Amino acid sequence: MVRLLIVWVILSAIGIAGVLQINYPPYDQSIQGQDQATTLKLLTALATPVFLAVVMMVLYSAIFFRRTSRELVDGPPMLGNTPIQIAWVAISSILVLFLAVVGIATLSSENVAQLVGAPGRTIGGGQTGGGTTGEENKEIHVQVIAQQWYFTYRYADYGGVETTHLYLPVNHPVELHVTSLDIIHSFWAYQLGVKADANPGVDNIFHVTPQKTGSFQVRCSELCGLWHGHMVDSEGQVVNQSDFDTWIAQQQKDFETIAKAVPSYAPYYFPLPLTKGS
Amino acid sequence: MIRRLSFVGAAVVIVVIALVAFVGLFMLRQPGPLEGTTTTLHLETVAAVGQALEWPRPNDPHPDWVGYLPTTTWTVPANSTIQVQIDQEDGATGLRNPFWGKVFGTEGGNMHVTFFDDKGNPQEGDMTSIDPTQAAHTFAIPDLGVFVPLLGVNPNAPAGSTNVITFSFKTKGPGHYRWQCFVPCAAKTIFGNGGPMQTIGYMGGTVIVV
Repeated sequence: MVRLLIVWVILSAIGIAGVLQINYPPYDQSIQGQDQATTLKLLTALATPVFLAVVMMVLYSAIFFRRTSRELVDGPPMLGNTPIQIAWVAISSILVLFLAVVGIATLSSENVAQLVGAPGRTIGGGQTGGGTTGEENKEIHVQVIAQQWYFTYRYADYGGVETTHLYLPVNHPVELHVTSLDIIHSFWAYQLGVKADANPGVDNIFHVTPQKTGSFQVRCSELCGLWHGHMVDSEGQVVNQSDFDTWIAQQQKDFETIAKAVPSYAPYYFPLPLTKGS
Repeated sequence: MIRRLSFVGAAVVIVVIALVAFVGLFMLRQPGPLEGTTTTLHLETVAAVGQALEWPRPNDPHPDWVGYLPTTTWTVPANSTIQVQIDQEDGATGLRNPFWGKVFGTEGGNMHVTFFDDKGNPQEGDMTSIDPTQAAHTFAIPDLGVFVPLLGVNPNAPAGSTNVITFSFKTKGPGHYRWQCFVPCAAKTIFGNGGPMQTIGYMGGTVIVV
């Protein structure tokens, strides 16, 4: 038994050392993504000794308690072992409770909220926002609008300008407001660690702070019709502040041609009128 | 004599080898991308595919469905300019997202439209956007960044009138690119998003870039 325990400790140490070397998704392009990757690494590291114990027990039993004769007989009666029972219940409980606390803490740090109510609330200055705020660490409000089968984005702090791609400045907190124009979609910016339901009439709020420049992919993760599999945009970008300012200025200029026809920024929309297309 | 024959023989062998090599290399050569070529797409958008003016499909299983004609699978060369003419026969439905009233991704960022004004008189001009409420359909290839709203035929236009929209865009490398309509134009379906909007062959299809 002691030898088995020693083998388990050694294998666990090797296993934990191994899983700690793995780079876990969704990696570290955003602070939230890095939190998720760290949590995943912790979960895997803690699960490794448990996994190895189970595997070792199965193999040990299969080898040392295998049937030796062809005769069908019961094994020796098991009368219970109170210390072992207390130990496994206690250890399991501690592990599960610890992981629950870690998981809740990680989720809380994502600062998720979902608002359903009367439309009309404006955020970050709404349609009349004056452009670059210039204030460090002030959250940028970006509305993600899902529709069959594309995502568009409105920057509330930049006059409500709508764009076809999502650009975010690095090291700048962003408040994403996810909604839909027609049916249920799901906004999934995998590398940023954000996955949020997009429902008509709902303002689903997520926070993200990109910390590395580079591209990221946005895709729909809710089966949403004919072209769901193509509802992908690989041109999402995390850029530095000056590049973002240049880009958003160009977007605002381009938007001028359609700005008057686009309604004022609202927290969410409904697929009205029902008779559209009839 | 033998010396001369040897020279001739050697020359013949060299010529034959050269010919075989030339033909062989020609046969093995892979076609490259058609850089700089221009292809024309001529399309028709209609309220009911069974009653189209140019390419009617009376035997279609859904003759009363809205659709693009004559086909919804278009094969075009890679890295080329595609000139598009759309004969738009349908009336306005209106965009759910008014943002798509703007033209994206065409050469020059615009389109040329011949249409009819409120008095039923023919007009034409270059446009960078249209009134989103007057959109009948859109021609959109999202992965190529092409979004073109198609102006609906004015109800005051003479019967059988057609708006003609022309523009051009550039293709990228080979691949299959989906295209779709962003106007919820499927009549008699909830929110206009059913039927022909969810069926390839009507308001969606594939651009095959080769």
